[in-house]
Amino acid sequence: MHIHELNPWRTLIALSAFIVILIIGFLTMPKPLISYEKTISESVNALVESDAYFYPWELEQVIAKETDTIVLFDLRNNFIFGQGHIPGAENLSASTLSREENIERMKELRDMGVTVVLYGDTQLDANGPSMLFRQVGFNNVKVLLGGYQYYLQHKDDLYSTVDDDGYMKGVARFDYAEMAAPKDGATLSNDQDAQPVQVQRRQKSNVAAGGC
Amino acid sequence: MNKNYIILTILMLVLAVGTLFLTMKHEPKQIDPQELLQEIIQPTRYVSTDQVAKMIIQGDPSLMLVDVRSIYEYEEYTLPGAINVPLEELLVNDNLLYFGIPGKKVIFVSNDDIQADQMWVLTKRLGYGSTYVMKGGINCWMQTIIDPQRPAETAAATDFETYSFRKGAQMYFTGAGSEDAGSGQVNVQVQRRQKSNVAAGGC
Repeated sequence: MHIHELNPWRTLIALSAFIVILIIGFLTMPKPLISYEKTISESVNALVESDAYFYPWELEQVIAKETDTIVLFDLRNNFIFGQGHIPGAENLSASTLSREENIERMKELRDMGVTVVLYGDTQLDANGPSMLFRQVGFNNVKVLLGGYQYYLQHKDDLYSTVDDDGYMKGVARFDYAEMAAPKDGATLSNDQDAQPVQVQRRQKSNVAAGGC
Repeated sequence: MNKNYIILTILMLVLAVGTLFLTMKHEPKQIDPQELLQEIIQPTRYVSTDQVAKMIIQGDPSLMLVDVRSIYEYEEYTLPGAINVPLEELLVNDNLLYFGIPGKKVIFVSNDDIQADQMWVLTKRLGYGSTYVMKGGINCWMQTIIDPQRPAETAAATDFETYSFRKGAQMYFTGAGSEDAGSGQVNVQVQRRQKSNVAAGGC
């Protein structure tokens, strides 16, 4: 006779212990520091949100210390930060962003309802980190338009930049078609129809079984 | 039949059905946020307009230019050989099939470089490699390739090499630009305020 048929209670005790250990294991699994709060399609739609951007003239109130709900983080490295930065900004080098204490600090600031403005030398430097933070649920993160370079050029009169659009990105600054129109002797012709673009797509199906 | 075996079978069936419910989400495969953050802070994804011009002129078969602007801007003007995948239409139709082709270098292009960078972050999150961003965008392309700025006479020799390459590229893409005078002419020192160091490579 099998031992399990002789003593059913032992089986049950062993089984319960096994399940309890499994449950404890799942519950005490270390949670990742950050995880996605937005799906990919939500992230695509969120790119047009205008509240993700911080305008240069809004820096005036931060510099004058008139507000305590906005925090400036400088993403450049410590040495460059020491050479000059926006008054009131803290240094948070991009390379240290993934450290636990910095993530915890970001979480605290979010819970306090503080707006976090990231800036780098250019807007491009702050674009990636701010996108990531917004995707993992930090909706209080904004990018400084124009970056440090634009601030440096206009720091004596930031309010006048309301009328300027030098910090705006994504705008065509030239009449492309006219400027690049081929004159005589061009190797490339402008006739796009004559030369169809070679489009390549990834093969969806798996050809592994038959071999090619 | 023994009671224990019945209980065990029922338990296993319950667990099996439970795993069915776990895989209901249809999110595409993605990389961890920590890994994505590590990739984002690397500056290795940026290529210059000179590098892109060189690849086009040489007919590099691994080049895949992706214009992330709207279809209207794309039809108005785009870089030679570029395909159009608007930023908002990343997940539409089969647009994702353009990425992940082995051996291809995907270079994202927009008016400046912000939208191209945004596209880069999204495709990186989806796990696609071999993707790059053209720094400065088409605005920079106009200033460096279509209408290159002559460096100041006091500039380094490499700036002049870059300039002669760009003049050649200008000739290739537009056919213009053969009016540069030969040596022996006195060059008038024209002082212009340099907004950005375009001649030295960047925008």
